[in-house]
Amino acid sequence: MAQSSGAADGHQSIPALLHRNATRYADSMAYREKEFGIWQCWTWAQAEKEIEALALGLLNLGVDEGDFIAVIGRNRPHFYWSMVAAQSVGAVPVPVYQDSASDEMAYVLDHCGARFAIVEDQEQVDKIIDIQDGLHQFEHIIYVDPRGLRKYDHHKLHQFSHVQEQGRAAHEEFIEDLRARRDKLAYSSVCVMLYTSGTTGKPKGVVLSNRNIIEASKSSAEFDTLTRNEEVLAYLPMAWVGDFIFSVGQAYWCAFCVNCPESADTMQTDLREIGPTYYFAPPRVFETQLTNVMIRMEDAGRLKQWLFHRFMDHARRVGPAILDGRPVNGLDRLKYKLGHVLVYGPLKDTLGLGRVRVGYTAGEAIGPEIFDFYRSLGINLKQLYGQTEASVFITLQPDGEVRSDTVGVAAPGVELRIDGSGEVYYRSPGVFEYYYKNEESTAKTKDDDGWVATGDAGFFEEGSGHLRIIDRAKDVGKMADGRMFAPKYVENKLKFFPNILEAVVFGNQRDECTAFINIDLNAVGNWAERNNIGYASYQELAGHPQVLETIKGHVEEVNRSLAEDPMLSHCQVHRFLVLHKELDADDGEMTRTRKVRRGVISEKFKDLLTALYDGSSEIRTTTEVTYEDGRKGSISATLRIVDAAVVAVAGPKVAAE
Amino acid sequence: MPDQLVWGMEVFLNGLMAGVLYALVALGFVLIYKASGIFNYSQGVMALFAALTLVGVMEGQVPFSHLINAVFGTEIHHFGWHVPALAAILLTMAVMILLAWAVNRFIFRHLVNQEPIILFMATIGLAYFLEGFGDLMWGSDIKTLNVGLPQGINPVIDEVTYRIFGYGFFIDNLDLVATGIAALLVIALVIFAQYTKQGRAMRAVADDHQAALSVGISLNFIWVMVWSLAGFVALVAGIMWGTKSGVQFSLSLIALKALPVLMLGGFTSIPGAIVGGLIIGVGEKLFEFLIGPLVGGATENWFAYVLALIFLVFRPQGLFGEKIIERV
Amino acid sequence: MLDASEGYTTEDGRAIGGVVMEMRHITLRFGGVVAIKDISFDVREGEIRAIIGPNGAGKSSMLNVVSGFYNPQEGEVWYKGAKRPPMKPYQVARQGIARTFQNIALFEGMTVLDNVMTGRIRQMEAGLFAQALWKGKAEEEETANREAVEKIIDFLEIQHIRKTPVGRLPYGLKKRVELARALAAAPSILLLDEPMAGMNVEEKEDMSRFVLDVNDEFGTTIVLIEHDMGVVMDLSDRVVVMDYGKKIGDGTPDEVRNNQAVIDAYLGVAHD
Repeated sequence: MAQSSGAADGHQSIPALLHRNATRYADSMAYREKEFGIWQCWTWAQAEKEIEALALGLLNLGVDEGDFIAVIGRNRPHFYWSMVAAQSVGAVPVPVYQDSASDEMAYVLDHCGARFAIVEDQEQVDKIIDIQDGLHQFEHIIYVDPRGLRKYDHHKLHQFSHVQEQGRAAHEEFIEDLRARRDKLAYSSVCVMLYTSGTTGKPKGVVLSNRNIIEASKSSAEFDTLTRNEEVLAYLPMAWVGDFIFSVGQAYWCAFCVNCPESADTMQTDLREIGPTYYFAPPRVFETQLTNVMIRMEDAGRLKQWLFHRFMDHARRVGPAILDGRPVNGLDRLKYKLGHVLVYGPLKDTLGLGRVRVGYTAGEAIGPEIFDFYRSLGINLKQLYGQTEASVFITLQPDGEVRSDTVGVAAPGVELRIDGSGEVYYRSPGVFEYYYKNEESTAKTKDDDGWVATGDAGFFEEGSGHLRIIDRAKDVGKMADGRMFAPKYVENKLKFFPNILEAVVFGNQRDECTAFINIDLNAVGNWAERNNIGYASYQELAGHPQVLETIKGHVEEVNRSLAEDPMLSHCQVHRFLVLHKELDADDGEMTRTRKVRRGVISEKFKDLLTALYDGSSEIRTTTEVTYEDGRKGSISATLRIVDAAVVAVAGPKVAAE
Repeated sequence: MPDQLVWGMEVFLNGLMAGVLYALVALGFVLIYKASGIFNYSQGVMALFAALTLVGVMEGQVPFSHLINAVFGTEIHHFGWHVPALAAILLTMAVMILLAWAVNRFIFRHLVNQEPIILFMATIGLAYFLEGFGDLMWGSDIKTLNVGLPQGINPVIDEVTYRIFGYGFFIDNLDLVATGIAALLVIALVIFAQYTKQGRAMRAVADDHQAALSVGISLNFIWVMVWSLAGFVALVAGIMWGTKSGVQFSLSLIALKALPVLMLGGFTSIPGAIVGGLIIGVGEKLFEFLIGPLVGGATENWFAYVLALIFLVFRPQGLFGEKIIERV
Repeated sequence: MLDASEGYTTEDGRAIGGVVMEMRHITLRFGGVVAIKDISFDVREGEIRAIIGPNGAGKSSMLNVVSGFYNPQEGEVWYKGAKRPPMKPYQVARQGIARTFQNIALFEGMTVLDNVMTGRIRQMEAGLFAQALWKGKAEEEETANREAVEKIIDFLEIQHIRKTPVGRLPYGLKKRVELARALAAAPSILLLDEPMAGMNVEEKEDMSRFVLDVNDEFGTTIVLIEHDMGVVMDLSDRVVVMDYGKKIGDGTPDEVRNNQAVIDAYLGVAHD
């Protein structure tokens, strides 16, 4: 231990932490994965062995220090091992979204100049073979699942388990080399490179050092007193910084167990079986879960419905207070306990959240009603605000100070400031090193003193000192009369309705606001089924007059609630239409993390946008779509434009101007 | 009126016990109906036949002695030995399995793919045949059956209830045993159906014949198995009822009581048969106790059927039956 | 012409073995109607063999003869080198010939897992009484069967519906569950009756991939009926073409495509 920094107990890299865990907690669980219907387990000692075998195999294949190794697959222990094995041999792991289209993947692999890729199955192998010609440095593919690949040319193609076997066989030959490379890893060595999808432009490669990851993991783990007894379910994309922090950074720092679901579709079942104690999900997942609960309740018997509504009302009233440890009278407490036995407990178990001690949501603003629903059940759901560039953590909500409309206080070690235009800046040990091969962006984002611009507009709330984020700085605009236009605020209100999956609100430089709406096929489809409304496609359902009527009701309800907010009463939605297709990352309308790309959308659906403002009641349109396999096609539809009632707001305008 | 209430409780408990027997017979119906779509009218007679055979075997009676004596002019009635109860039960079970095989071999194999009403008529025929056959085989006199089950008032319950209510409940030991055995039987059947390969095959046959064939299930084997199971259930019911009221032809009439039980519980549900049986048992005893005196008694004769009729109107699929959904 | 016992290797490197099943001069009549008239063809181990033809050509009847649902009036079925006596469908199934149905015959009230488990009936040795008396063996067997079934569930990517009653599944998934059940029997020959019928383009592609993967991964011999010509030509090694109960062509997809009788009877009509 020649390095002196003293932080992190001298464990200055993820491989070093692995070795610590494998020594100290050899027999505790490190990984579980459900396969063939059974949870397969690996202890820390076993995980170290697996990783070492793979690392030796990588040396055998000729991985050099400083090489980039792309890791492409769903959350499986193999891929977590791959990342740590890559680090062990001095290479840099680059997790890539496994559902990326070929050109996106080609861009990333080309940009980092990866020589190796460790991938899941035939689908990914095919994708890389397709783009390989354009990649000059690329050499070897390692795959985990051999199915369908037997007949492929195996000169540059290797099965994961074979690479490990060869590694074990070549133990004598390479172990010294491996040790040497591992020992060289320092706090300042690169830990991982993550590509941010960004709502505009090409992805940028964010380089994070061991210091970034370990410091961020350490201080956030201390903030929530995470221990090695936590259970997490790793189900969010591995290419996303959050998963890297939760499933690698914090997992290795605290030595807790990472559980991998059987497949994306079994996530809910696996969640129930594992019962995580520490859980992260974007608002979208919580929304979907809530929608499903509501759908199921509508199908339930009358007694069950009555119990549910009665106790949920009670929970909404006193649940959050009980969770925050505020005073609640004895009778209410007793009733809440009864509710726990009858409703909340079973419901939490069904959701798989029965054991959650710390839960976080981030990425987007969460609807207050959704947030409160979970908190009232006694689930300690909190918000955090973060970015890839910060190694996730910028602000966090401390226990007892949790609210749906703020994102909390500065995370430990983070400094915050807000500039004149309202944009939020931060500085912390987690701040990224640089954007790979992109000095210009690095300079634009991070100044010489280490302050990073978030691109979000926000303010510190008086009294509590909590940060409130209003919107993306560049999305906040002005209406034609100069008043503030905050689209996301309105969209979030719309999206709280289970029937509405996505909403895009327009109004910048305009006289009034309008919206595109995506219905939630799950919720609306269920409603249609119960009402004997037949439909053959999303498009048909989206255009059904009764559906439009329902959505109109929702929009008008949002308008009524907006009217009560003096700051935003002018953002009421005057006209809207229900889109004929779901907004999709494959079509570039959203990012892979499902944030809407306003620019793309308003360009692509320009005709629809015009129709929203020219008073027409119908419009015929044709849109290009991309199918799952990459082929393109087009769909046409005639969309109805619906006028929604707005609440007249008297006063402010006259007074203001 | 506390006395009335306490008596009512006793009546309730006794009704529960009676219900167990209804449930057992209904269970036999459900098994066969689920697996083959046959509504087996002869289930009650099977219980009688099983009980007759059991008594005959235990007493060492010579089967068909009447016939033999008539033809050959002999005077034989008994072999002169007694068979222990357990061995006799096993032997009787073997007879029931043989019966199951014969029923399939000689009747239902020839009726594959016939209308349900034809299958039903066949079971009516089978019922009368079995009744006559049993008569011929073992004679028509009323017999007592004693396989060593405890009988008489349960002193513990009597004592405890006396202390609490000042009035000792009369609960027959036999009823308690019957309840216990019925519960075990149901659990065993459910485990069998859910977790064994034959059980899975049985459910498969009940679900889709063609598919069952295509995975290598022999329909005949499953049918014989199911009829054997129904025979076993009939044997248990026969033992209970026979011990309680003697082995006589009125036993076959409880089959008719099983009909309303099925209406209530649903024709395809094992738990339904049990719950339906208990409801009818309790219902008719309580009704007789409370309303009987007002309408001149004998309500037990019709109560179950009227209740079933009401159910038919409001919930035709029964309590546990699969929901009948007509999509428009 | 290859000898019956000889094998060969396909262009994509799959090993095809000798003849595993042979139909000799099969004639099947329903009353006075002749459904199949004097048809002969063979199936080699490891190959994908298709039977195609317009509606009413007698394809399904042929499959039903193979699987024992119909017994032909004339002709012989040879299986693994021996002449097969007339059999019940369940006996055929126990010989290792599994099948799916055009209209899907699943156990709707049972879960996906239970459905697939029924496919293992052939592999279950312990008898009823053995199960009751000797719990250990039965349990061991159940575990082994469950493992085999789980591999297939994983292979066909239906883990998420493992515990779902089949009746609640959409059509495309049901087809996949039926395939899983047939595969669970570890069959020597897998008969697929119009596996792509009623599917949309995407589902058809998925199903084609599964059929190829099954053949590739388990080396299963597959006989399939299909009237979607495109799918058949891509999938199969050899094709039998039927029309009005008669065989009018037999050979590789290319040979069949260029066969004049086939073009007249089928291709010309279907591909206008």
